[in-house]
Amino acid sequence: MKRLSALLALACLAACGRNDGRTELVIQRFFGACQAEYGALADPAQANGECGIITAMINQFEQENPDIRVVENTVAWPGYDQLTAQLAANGPPDLVTMHSSAIPDYEARHLLEPLDTDLAAVGIAPEQFTAAARAGVTVEGRTMGLPIDVWAPLWHINMNLFRQAGLVVDGKPVLPASPEQFQAQAAQFRERTGKPYFIQVTNKDFAGPMRIFYAWMMQQGAAPFTDARHANFDSPAGRSALEFMKALYQRGDSAKNLDYAGAVSGFLKGEGGILVDGTWMVGQFDAAAHDERSPLYRGYAVRPFPFLFHQRQVSLVDGHNWVMPRNAHRTAAEREAARRFLKYFAANDFQWARTGHFPAYRAIIDSAAWQQLPHRSDIAAITQHGEPLPKYVRRQSPIEFIVGEEAAAAFTGAKPVERALADMQRRANDILQSF
Amino acid sequence: MSAASLHRPPRLAIALVAIAAIVMLTPMLWVVILSFKHNTALMADTSSAFVPPWTLANYRSIIGEGQVFTWLTNSLVVSLAMTAGVLVLSSLAGYGFARLEFPGRRLLFILVLLGLAIPEQAVIIGRHQMFSAVSMHNTYTALVLPGLAMPFGVFLMTQYFRAIPRELDEAAMLDGASRPRIFWRVLLPLTLPAQATLGIFTFFHAWNDYWWPLISATDRDMLTLTVGIAATQMNFAQTEGLGFLMAQAVFAGLPTLLVYLVFQKYLVRAVAGAAGQ
Repeated sequence: MKRLSALLALACLAACGRNDGRTELVIQRFFGACQAEYGALADPAQANGECGIITAMINQFEQENPDIRVVENTVAWPGYDQLTAQLAANGPPDLVTMHSSAIPDYEARHLLEPLDTDLAAVGIAPEQFTAAARAGVTVEGRTMGLPIDVWAPLWHINMNLFRQAGLVVDGKPVLPASPEQFQAQAAQFRERTGKPYFIQVTNKDFAGPMRIFYAWMMQQGAAPFTDARHANFDSPAGRSALEFMKALYQRGDSAKNLDYAGAVSGFLKGEGGILVDGTWMVGQFDAAAHDERSPLYRGYAVRPFPFLFHQRQVSLVDGHNWVMPRNAHRTAAEREAARRFLKYFAANDFQWARTGHFPAYRAIIDSAAWQQLPHRSDIAAITQHGEPLPKYVRRQSPIEFIVGEEAAAAFTGAKPVERALADMQRRANDILQSF
Repeated sequence: MSAASLHRPPRLAIALVAIAAIVMLTPMLWVVILSFKHNTALMADTSSAFVPPWTLANYRSIIGEGQVFTWLTNSLVVSLAMTAGVLVLSSLAGYGFARLEFPGRRLLFILVLLGLAIPEQAVIIGRHQMFSAVSMHNTYTALVLPGLAMPFGVFLMTQYFRAIPRELDEAAMLDGASRPRIFWRVLLPLTLPAQATLGIFTFFHAWNDYWWPLISATDRDMLTLTVGIAATQMNFAQTEGLGFLMAQAVFAGLPTLLVYLVFQKYLVRAVAGAAGQ
C-alpha cells in the first residue's frame, strides 16, 4: 500500500510538472533524436551532425528563454503524414520543419500561416535571405516560413582516382563542360582506373535519379512544368536529359544496382569517381579524407553540378524551413514564444550551416567563418544560381517520386525512353489535375 | 522395421528443415551482428561487422533516449488491452455464431467475414475523423478501440466452437447448467489452444502496428515503441545510422520474442490441432 501511495505521489508530481507556468511551445521536427549524446548539451558549437546541432540549439534556446518550455516532437522523416493527421484533428504543433518543395501543397489548402508579420516583429527581413532560400519560402509574395538552409545535389569527387585518371590540374578536378566532354572524360577515367566514373542511386530510392533528371532538364532552359496543371517532361529537353542518362549508364560509365546506402558505401570504398549526393554528406566525406585508412584520404573534393547544357546556369535546390501550421487555438503567448524561437534560429543559422547545408542568410554566406568551413567556398555559387521547383506546382512530393521512378526505369533499360517520358508525364498530370 | 524407427523422422527431412531454419535465421543474425558495430564503420563497409571492434553504443543510444521506456510502456498497455479485448469479444461472438440460433445469424456472420476483405487503408480517414470528432486522439482508448474489431478472431473462435461436439452442451444442460455456465465452465476451457493462438497473433499485430499509432498518437508521451523509435532515426538512417537502426530492430523485437518463447507450446499445439482437423 505504501508503494502504491508513493507511486501515486510520483505520478501526481509528474503531472504537476507539466504545468509549471511557462509558455508551452510545441515544435515538431525530423533529423532524428540523439538525447543520449546531446541531450544535456546547450552549446551548438560543440555538437556535430544535423541531429546533434539542432538538439543543442533547442537546448540553448530553452536555457536562454526560461519562461518558455519547448515540447519537442521528433518525427520519422519527413513527418508529413503525422502533420496532416494533426491538422485534421485540429491539434497541430506551433512550428514544424518542412521542405521548401512541400510548402506549396500545404499553403494551397490554407493550412499554413504567412509569417511576414511575425518575422518583421522580431527584426527578420526576407531581404536577408539568400535568393534560393527566399524563393523556397515565398508563395505569391508571402513568406510562408523561416528558411534555415538550402540544400542541393552535388558532385562529390574522389580526387585520388581523378589523379590516377589524369583528371586533376593544379590540384583541382577537371570536370566536363558538355555532354561530349563528359563522355570523353568518363572513358578516360574508366580506361585508367578500371572503375566507373559515376556512382548514382539506381535502385529503390528514386530521389537521386529525379534530381539528376531535373537538373539536366533545367540546364537546357526548359521548365519541368508548363503551368500548375501540366508537366513538361515529355519534351525535347526531357528526352535529351533522359537519353544522356541512359547512354552513360549503358556505356558502363555508371556503377550499377546500387541503392542509396550502397552508393554512399561504394564511394567511401573508392569504387568510382563521382558520387551524386547532397550537401549533407560533405562533413562525412571530409572526415573520411582525414582518415588514413580511407580511400578518400587526402583526396576529396566537391563541386556543384557542372553545366553540361549551357542554355541556363541553374542548380536544382530545396531547403529546410520552420513553418507555422494554422491553429485557431494558439494563444498570443504561444505565438510570441514561436516568434522568439524563429528569431533564435535566424540568429544562429551559422551553427546549423555547419551540417553541410547552405546557410539561408546572405550575411553568413559572405562571412569568413562560413567560407573557412571545409569545401564551402567551392560550392557557394549554388546560393546564387540555385533554383527550387516552381511554387505554382502544388504536389511536388508525389511527382518527384514518379519522375525518379520513371527516369531510373528508362536509364537502366527497363523501359524505353519514349514510354518512360510518356508515363512520367501522364502520371504527373493525373496528380496535378486531380484537385 | 522397429516401431521406434518408424516414428523417427527421416534424416533428409531433418536436414531440409535445418537448412530452412538457417535460411530464415540468417537475416536475423545479420541484424544482431550489425547492431554491435559503430555506424561510421558500417557506412563505409558492412562487411566490417565480422571483425572487431564491436560496441554497445547503439544500445546505449536507445536506452539514453529519455522517452523510450514511456513508449515501451505504451506499447505494452495497448498490446495487452487489445489482446484481452479481442479474446473476450471474439470468444463471445464465436460462441454466439456457433451455438445460438437467432434471426439473421448467417447474414451477420457473413457481414463479419466481409471485414476480412476490407483493408485498413480503406477506412483510416473515416476512422481518424471519428476520433477527431470526439477529441480522443492521443489516448489509449484511441489506440486500442479500433483493434478490437477483429473479424479473423471471430471467425477463428466460431470455427473452434463449432468443432466441439454439441453433446457436451447437452450433457451439461441435463446436469442443470445455464448457458453462461456452459460457456464459461465447459466450452471455454476447451478453446484454450485457439485462445492462445489468437492472443499471440493479436499481441504481435498490436505490438507491430505502425500506421494507426503514427497518425493517432502524435503527442510524444503517447507514442508506441514502433513510432517512437522510428522518430529517433536520422534522415539517412539506412546509411549513416545502420548500426543504430539494427539495434532498434532488436530492441523492439525482444518483447515479442519473449512472448513467443513463453507461449510457443500453445501456439504449436494450436497449429498442429488445426492441421489435424
